[in-house]
Amino acid sequence: MPDALTVVVQQTINGVVLGSLYVLVALGLTLIYGVLVQINFAHADIVTVGAFAAYFFTHRFGGHYVLSIGVALAVGAVLGWLINSLVFVPLRRRGSELLPLIATIGVSILMENASLAAFGPIPYAFESPYSGQVIRLGRIFISLQHLLVIAVAGVTIGLLYAFIRYTVHGKALRAVAQDVETAGLMGINPNRLIMLTFVIGSALAGLSGALLGPVLVLTPFAGASVIVKAFAIVIIGGFGNMEGTILAGLLVGLIEAFTTQLMNPGLIDIVVFALLLATLALRPTGLIAERREENV
Amino acid sequence: MSEPGAGRRWAFRLLVLVVIALGPVVMRDTYWRSVLVVCALNVMLALGLDFVLGYAGQLNLGQAAFYGIGAYTSTLLVTRLGLSFWPSLVAGTVLAGVAGVALALFAVRLRGHYLAIASLGFAVITYQVLLQWISLTQGPLGIYAIPPPPSLALPGLPVIDFANPARMFYLVATFALLAYVVLDALVRSPIGETLAAIREDEVSAAALGINTPAWKAFAFGVGSAIAGMAGAFYASFIGTLVPDAFFMTESFTVLAMVIVGGLGTLIGPVAGAILLTVLPEALRGVGDLRLIVYGVSLTLVVLFVPGGLVGTVRTLRERVVERRAPGAATA
Repeated sequence: MPDALTVVVQQTINGVVLGSLYVLVALGLTLIYGVLVQINFAHADIVTVGAFAAYFFTHRFGGHYVLSIGVALAVGAVLGWLINSLVFVPLRRRGSELLPLIATIGVSILMENASLAAFGPIPYAFESPYSGQVIRLGRIFISLQHLLVIAVAGVTIGLLYAFIRYTVHGKALRAVAQDVETAGLMGINPNRLIMLTFVIGSALAGLSGALLGPVLVLTPFAGASVIVKAFAIVIIGGFGNMEGTILAGLLVGLIEAFTTQLMNPGLIDIVVFALLLATLALRPTGLIAERREENV
Repeated sequence: MSEPGAGRRWAFRLLVLVVIALGPVVMRDTYWRSVLVVCALNVMLALGLDFVLGYAGQLNLGQAAFYGIGAYTSTLLVTRLGLSFWPSLVAGTVLAGVAGVALALFAVRLRGHYLAIASLGFAVITYQVLLQWISLTQGPLGIYAIPPPPSLALPGLPVIDFANPARMFYLVATFALLAYVVLDALVRSPIGETLAAIREDEVSAAALGINTPAWKAFAFGVGSAIAGMAGAFYASFIGTLVPDAFFMTESFTVLAMVIVGGLGTLIGPVAGAILLTVLPEALRGVGDLRLIVYGVSLTLVVLFVPGGLVGTVRTLRERVVERRAPGAATA
């Protein structure tokens, strides 16, 4: 019988692993919201397709698992490019707040059910060569897969942060996020930056798919279970706020691990969304909507 | 609003009544008669959502939750407390409406995307509660043998027994028609203009002295109550209840009906609900295309047919008018 401390440490590790995956998914959403003030509802389906791409790369074509992460990233980037070109660019001219969200709900239903038609409802056993290799530290167990997830997520988040802070593109991106029109006057092409952000955000979603595949149950609905949490995370963290999203993502991962341990896994969504609704009640619109009201 | 327009409107109303009356006469098959009932239920759901989204401009992604609240409330009152159907229907409708008002008041300072996600969150929580609160809802096992509405004995008429899809269709269609008439009166009244002001520019509407939180809550309450009423009829028609019927996907299919039919009109969502209920049934032989039809139609209509079915019909009619009388197309 494990003692309380072991359980706490073990579940904290599990929570951080899950949380860093959620952070990767949610960062894509929040980056896109930052420059476009739009939500891509099909974001999580990019996660699913990325996971399937990685699965087929490793299990059908014998590719190495680490390389499959790159494949999923590329697939995510292409899907992001497609969704932005086909949905968001044409709708931007109509200037509606809700229509792009509604259109991507359609894209999401389509992607989910096309995956269902192609791959069937039976879960795929996505085996990473690292899942079985376990490091034992006293009574704590960590699989190499978990370490890999934390490492890839950490490096990706670090690179992204450096990109936004220190490169010219990153500076332009922050300028567009603050004020599209003024950024345009300063010689920044907002359309190219929005596309760049979209591709980066979607590539993150694809990459998370390759990492999530061996951790979650891989079915065409894998993304749907992630997207509701990703929404909760971006709202709890504040839309467009990178640091907030990282904190909220880790928090949701920990909530999930400890709810599973202490209560009932069925309660995870209830706890996470109760937290979401509480955030909305206490810190309602977040900074973005306040600023937009002043702009009117 | 001119006189010939009014005449045409009466002709249209008569046509609607004839179509409803003939529905089960044309459809002899029990299966297709059941599809008719589902059409009428979806019409109610779509009308309720359209009032919130099309008229008040608020994206409610929680319609499935209100549908479920109405269904479970009325069913539990019937099966647990032995109440009869009609007071249970009222209770389910009222409770769903109260839940809608509560959500809107809770999200009182939210708009746009935030309100959409808050309502989606509400739908996720409601679904999980239905699934997890096994002592009340029996969770995934579901509730079985829910009785149909009791037979109606109107004076001077033979007893109407609702354990029959054709009569159930007449019953549900009557209430769908009632919902239509009430919403039609609301959107033509000054309330309709108030809601339009909020939809077009919430900040300016508030500056003009409109109590925007109260009116948003009102729209949510009406839209959710109609969904709750549909839920009560759904349970008594199908006879079984499982939480999966109220998963968030259900909110999206209703959204597709509203958008495909034509946002911000009442006849549009009616047409959208009928089309998107019948079309997937007709395609049943081709494999499980039901949801793909919803996804594709939702995206394509938003991108290429902004007005939906109603907008397309209007554009075509204007073209015909223009061809008949060049230069007088604005009439």
